[in-house]
Amino acid sequence: MIYTLIHIAVMVILAPLFLSLIKAIKMWLLFKKPLPLLQGYNDLAKLLRKEVIISQEASQITRIAPYLVLAPLLTALLFMPPVTKGEWYIGFVDAFTLTGLLALSTFFLMLIGLDSASAFGGIGSSREAFISALVEPGMILVIFALSLIAKNLGIAEAAIHLNTHFPTHHLASYTFAAIAFFILILAENGRIPIDNPETHLELTMVHEAMVLDLSGWYLALVEAASAIKYMIFATLFVSFFSPFGIGAPFLIALAIYLAKIAFLSLIIALIEVNTAKLRLFKVPNLLGIAIIFAFLSLISYYMLGA
Amino acid sequence: MTNLFIGLFLSTLITALLTTRLYRLFLWYGLNSIFLGLAALEQYKLLDDKALLISALLTLLLKGLLLPYLFKLFALKFHTERNIPPKIRLQYAILLIPAILVFTFYLINPILHLPGKNYISLSIASLFLSLVLIIEHKAIFAKVIGFLMMENALFLLGMTATEGMPMLIELGIFFDLLMAVVVINLLFEVEHA
Repeated sequence: MIYTLIHIAVMVILAPLFLSLIKAIKMWLLFKKPLPLLQGYNDLAKLLRKEVIISQEASQITRIAPYLVLAPLLTALLFMPPVTKGEWYIGFVDAFTLTGLLALSTFFLMLIGLDSASAFGGIGSSREAFISALVEPGMILVIFALSLIAKNLGIAEAAIHLNTHFPTHHLASYTFAAIAFFILILAENGRIPIDNPETHLELTMVHEAMVLDLSGWYLALVEAASAIKYMIFATLFVSFFSPFGIGAPFLIALAIYLAKIAFLSLIIALIEVNTAKLRLFKVPNLLGIAIIFAFLSLISYYMLGA
Repeated sequence: MTNLFIGLFLSTLITALLTTRLYRLFLWYGLNSIFLGLAALEQYKLLDDKALLISALLTLLLKGLLLPYLFKLFALKFHTERNIPPKIRLQYAILLIPAILVFTFYLINPILHLPGKNYISLSIASLFLSLVLIIEHKAIFAKVIGFLMMENALFLLGMTATEGMPMLIELGIFFDLLMAVVVINLLFEVEHA
């Protein structure tokens, strides 16, 4: 019980750290002076100190929706696979529940964008709808393929099963699922080939366009939500695709888990430095590749896993 | 491990189908051949067939490293257009590629009793997919790559269906390939002139 609480608290508290880590690695690779790793917390603290200004056009939704962006993600944190064997977990949650919770959060984010009645918010919302509609089939297919490999529909149980029975007979299927899920991480968290989180250039922004009219406490909520979303995806990725170290004692297992997430952040930063942002109309191509790989992972489970 | 290499073989082939850049296509072809060679090496360890070892090493060196490099040299020499958009749009490819895979899976049902039947179905699927690569491009380089990928698929088919292809056949195919590359070079010259 106490392990579960610590795990969830660690995920919530360290979420902004890893986004800052990605940014710091990127700046370091570009020969800039890297920002301190606590920059994410400083930004949140700054936002908490500022006053809240809400557009005249906005309705009640702008006041409610930031909480509803964060709440489904916090709920999803409860369903994450455990970091160690002694930890409690919720076993019955499957791909649909998780994807539904993430989609609910995205839905309220899109409402925020539409509610401020500015043109940018509308652009951002329509783009977000466009991207997340393509992400969801891929995500469900990937998690189902993993459930097939692990022979369990529950997310947490599948991760534990992958740890005890590493799928040496289904390596191809497993690799395809990893490729597809990695593309989905990039797409769903607005990383560079899909969306650049650092610009406020009107033609390219997706996530930033939706939150343009928020300020203060509400903006802090939405920023925290995006950090936690990255944490959810990273946790799922590392516990499915490098299911090692669950057997260790709690503190060591937690350290291994955080190291794996830091490594994933390093890879994402390397990709961000080395690629240019895709044109918006090329985004379906990349996500289509993710869907093909997810489907391939399902098919090759039957075809190659003889 | 054969499982993983054949899976990666298929995935590089599919990525080649979706790519729109010429040099990227050469890279995928090279990786495709390298994974094929590694699968053949695995098969060699399983069967202990010296001929397969030679074929695998030839595949790794010639097809995996030399041919992509040569193609890049050709492309540089003839100033080929490097943007090669596929004729079949991605929306249709998403449906077409899984359909081909599932179709070949049912196609080989009559020979269910063979041990490597899943690999056979995959290599026939690779044949079809390389055919798609040939018909979806107008550029001659992409057609050539499709032809070579088809040869890779044939090698995979021979390797998995017969549990180690006779060396003679594989060498024959290699010579065909060599001839083809020479002919292709001539073709490029003609197209260029």
